[in-house]
Amino acid sequence: MVKNTKRPRPMKIKKTPYEIIEPYLFLLPALAVFAVFLYYPFGRTIYLSTWVTDALGRPKKFVGLDNYTIRLFGKDAFWTSLVSTLEFVGVVALGGLIIGMITSLLTYNRYKGSDFCAAVYAMPVAIASAAASMAFRMIYHPTGGLLNNLFGTQINFLGGVYQFWSVAAVTIWLQSGINFIFISAGLKGVPTELYESCSIDGANYWQKLFHITLPSISPTLFFQIIINIINAFQSFSQVKLLTNESPNSSTNLIVYAIWHDAFRAQRFETAAARSVILFLIILVITLIQFSFEKRSVNY
Amino acid sequence: MKKLVSLFLVLAMMVSICAFASADGAVEITFWHAMGGVNGEAITKMIEDFNAAYEGKIKVNYEYQGSYDDAFAKIQAAGINSIPCDIMQVYDIGTRFMIDSGWVKPMQEFIDAEGFDASVIEPNIAAYYTVDGTLYSMPFNSSTPILYYNKTAFEKAGLDPEAPPKNFDEIYEMAKKIAESGAAKYGFGMGNYGWFFEQWTGKMGKNYVNNNNGRGADYATAVEFDSNGAGHDILSVWNKFVGDEATAVAPYLNQGNDDAKQAFINGDIAITLESTAALKTLLTNVGDSFEIGVGYFPNINADDVGGVSVGGGSLWAFKTGDEAREAATWEFVKFMTNPENQAFWNAQTGYFPVNVKAQETETFKENVAKYPQFQVALDQLHDSAPQYAGGLLSVFSQARALVQTYTERLVHHEIADVDECVSQLAAEINEAIEMYNLTNY
Repeated sequence: MVKNTKRPRPMKIKKTPYEIIEPYLFLLPALAVFAVFLYYPFGRTIYLSTWVTDALGRPKKFVGLDNYTIRLFGKDAFWTSLVSTLEFVGVVALGGLIIGMITSLLTYNRYKGSDFCAAVYAMPVAIASAAASMAFRMIYHPTGGLLNNLFGTQINFLGGVYQFWSVAAVTIWLQSGINFIFISAGLKGVPTELYESCSIDGANYWQKLFHITLPSISPTLFFQIIINIINAFQSFSQVKLLTNESPNSSTNLIVYAIWHDAFRAQRFETAAARSVILFLIILVITLIQFSFEKRSVNY
Repeated sequence: MKKLVSLFLVLAMMVSICAFASADGAVEITFWHAMGGVNGEAITKMIEDFNAAYEGKIKVNYEYQGSYDDAFAKIQAAGINSIPCDIMQVYDIGTRFMIDSGWVKPMQEFIDAEGFDASVIEPNIAAYYTVDGTLYSMPFNSSTPILYYNKTAFEKAGLDPEAPPKNFDEIYEMAKKIAESGAAKYGFGMGNYGWFFEQWTGKMGKNYVNNNNGRGADYATAVEFDSNGAGHDILSVWNKFVGDEATAVAPYLNQGNDDAKQAFINGDIAITLESTAALKTLLTNVGDSFEIGVGYFPNINADDVGGVSVGGGSLWAFKTGDEAREAATWEFVKFMTNPENQAFWNAQTGYFPVNVKAQETETFKENVAKYPQFQVALDQLHDSAPQYAGGLLSVFSQARALVQTYTERLVHHEIADVDECVSQLAAEINEAIEMYNLTNY
């Protein structure tokens, strides 16, 4: 006996016009907000980047791609700024991760005072970058600063070649807190049986670290790297405040340069063009990250 | 959607109308200022006094808008749609932009309409804000750069504490002695501040930009400091001994004034350059730890003949089309610059009394008797002829930033040659001027 296995086809239900538009009505509030604060400014930025503007940011003359080719790519300063930004992002993303990793390993085992240490390591999360920058201005001061007094040196930490590293150090410190919190949480999630069986096999601390801990928390590390890179690209208040609104070429990071072009130099067109370039850079980095994630992160 | 938007707009309009018609029928005006710290407290006190004196007639709502640069950027951003205030404090280098904007009601119109005696305004200060015979804004907080020195350190180093250096040759000699004697870590230190560059150009009696320093009927089209030698002489001074660690005469103290001010307060440097507006702050912070002396802003070359010009800010009235509010604004301007208030302002900050009659008040006399340093600043201004009023330039804030950037590159040997540095600097500023003129005139 052969059963009729053919399933009945679902009946086609005719939707009323209201049912057709209903989902879009639910989307409308979100779309309206995105349109006003995201899509319109985005479109406007691309539009502005092909014009030159007056001091108030009103487009005056269409120049095509001149803003990109002549006013940015044609200037050494632009390339220096771009390279500095990438260097800065690399240093800060890795530095924050490594410090977060070390501090969370230091507080992994409980001992007397480990809670206090954990609180100290996590503290930068709660500190506004503007407040930290003002404090570090004093610490870095060229003649009377804490660092110079401590080491008996007379180094201008915020000038010349030191400036980049001084700003990067503050940013790494600010980043280390969130890295510490996430990596600590990740460490707590590694099953203890793995360590136990490892110990039975005679593995030492470093073998456990590299063969158990790191692979186990790789999703956390990957997530943290993404967050670090995004935050590092957005670094602004440290640059503005530590350098007193005047970074030298090694610290003229792209977000600062955008702000300076638009709101100090009133050159809105190059600010817009830089923004578009920043968008493209972040787009490429995001794509690379996600393809990388699929291949080498263990879940 | 459209209905919703229009409904919202109507609501917003009603709210703003309500905001202007206060309960007691007083005319309300809005004042934007850019004074923080010690100076901010003083200006708040003056505005509160005004509101008390004009109670029921005029009420001034004041808003602190951050630094000069921030306030200026805000008015530029807001001005496209509507002017958000009746009166605003703008820094000296915003003058050209404000005139070009067309938003402004020149002070001259108020003065002429009322027959106000404008001769009470300090002529050297009024000169800066006068273009083509029209006084555009009312000087309010005016300052010049002066030299501050640590008298106590001078004595320790065996120098005459009553004889401040007059030019950079003298500064160099004295700074060396101070550093060698150990009276201070370094002899001299100054912030890398673009304003000084402008002042030195004026002190040499030379122009910063062309077309009569941007003050003629035509706006400036290019800088002049590259061809008239001013840039070369000024940057040579930086190149010669600032940041030269081997001699320990003068450390490089970064851009802006903050680090130099801090170093001076700490006693790490014995001679520095700063605005007169920092006088009160320095006196307060140094306290009894050493005695502060004040001297004229030093010449680059011993034989310079020009003078200093004023920096700081002035009060700009906007065309609002509302006569009651414009009249209230003028009352407020007169109040803020009357002799008694200017004497108070001078004593509290170090800014000049822009009203010449302020010097006859008891407040002024008492203050100068206590702190003779205030008199030196005033003498320096009187010793400068109004013809060195300083340049006007649309892109001045950008030019100032570029001057600082190139000075820093020179000090850090990124650019080896002074002349090369001047020509690169001039080229960049000229490009900015060209862009501005192309898109704004």
